[in-house]
Amino acid sequence: MEFVKICAVLGSGFAMGLGAIGSAVGEGMIAMKAVQSLGRQPSASSKIVRIMVISQAVTETAAVFALVISLLLMFKSGDFSYIKGFTFLAAGIAVGFGSIGAGLGAGLPGSSAMEGIGKQPENSDVLTIQMIIGQAVTQTSTIFALTVALILIMLDPEPSNLKVFAILGAGFAMGFGAIGPGIGDGLVAKHANKAVARNPKHMGLLTRTMIIGQAITETTDIYAMVVSLILIFVV
Amino acid sequence: MDGITGAELIKGLAFLAAGISMGFGAVGPGIGEGFVGGKACESIGKRPDEANLITKTMIIGQAISETTGIYALVVALILIFVV
Repeated sequence: MEFVKICAVLGSGFAMGLGAIGSAVGEGMIAMKAVQSLGRQPSASSKIVRIMVISQAVTETAAVFALVISLLLMFKSGDFSYIKGFTFLAAGIAVGFGSIGAGLGAGLPGSSAMEGIGKQPENSDVLTIQMIIGQAVTQTSTIFALTVALILIMLDPEPSNLKVFAILGAGFAMGFGAIGPGIGDGLVAKHANKAVARNPKHMGLLTRTMIIGQAITETTDIYAMVVSLILIFVV
Repeated sequence: MDGITGAELIKGLAFLAAGISMGFGAVGPGIGEGFVGGKACESIGKRPDEANLITKTMIIGQAISETTGIYALVVALILIFVV
């Protein structure tokens, strides 16, 4: 059916177009601080460049998730009922908006880690571990968005007028809901990295506090996922 | 898709509104709680011996920031199940 193909292609565009924003800005922030640190400590250049590439690779994850969903949607073909068109569009919206927060959020700890390495290159090992933990937790919001998007792509609901609105609502809830917690997690990890760079012997205490702070920040994301799953399965 | 009745349209738009309410409602608390957690980590880095006090205050501050997110959740659930 033509309509389903139109919606799938539109969803594919939403997924990749919006999903690229966060990661691109996040990686830019990391590279900016890396260049600044190189200016301050040219002797530590190999360390700075290596850690910059690692943190940019982790930041890229959100955009890779968006790319996967975008490609899945682009090559969807077959005989579907009209309701599948709305599930494809909602999947694109969920993963597209959902990747913005995680991309930006992963960029923040990366940039503060680069700054810290520029000031104290001798603490780089501790700081890299702390940075990767922080960035990994930041990716939770985009993983939720990816899960909901995959459920929406696989789903084959009973066609009805009400279900159309419920499916679109599920996409909006998960997509927008993942933006805030993604950025918030990144802010927590950013300041934790700054503190570790200054005071590496308190890393255990700081990692614990960071994970508590990020877990609480993540709650609104979980609410958004619960609402979108209710809209998908219960309504 | 055949003709949609008025009652169906109201219920359908309520579902859409539930999604939009929860989605946008989660943006603010997420960022706000991130500020709280971030500054708490920074303070513990400066004064590690006050970690308990700072963690306690962080959790209270984040719980209060969370309230608007809970309002959004409640509104979304009302829109889904009650309206």
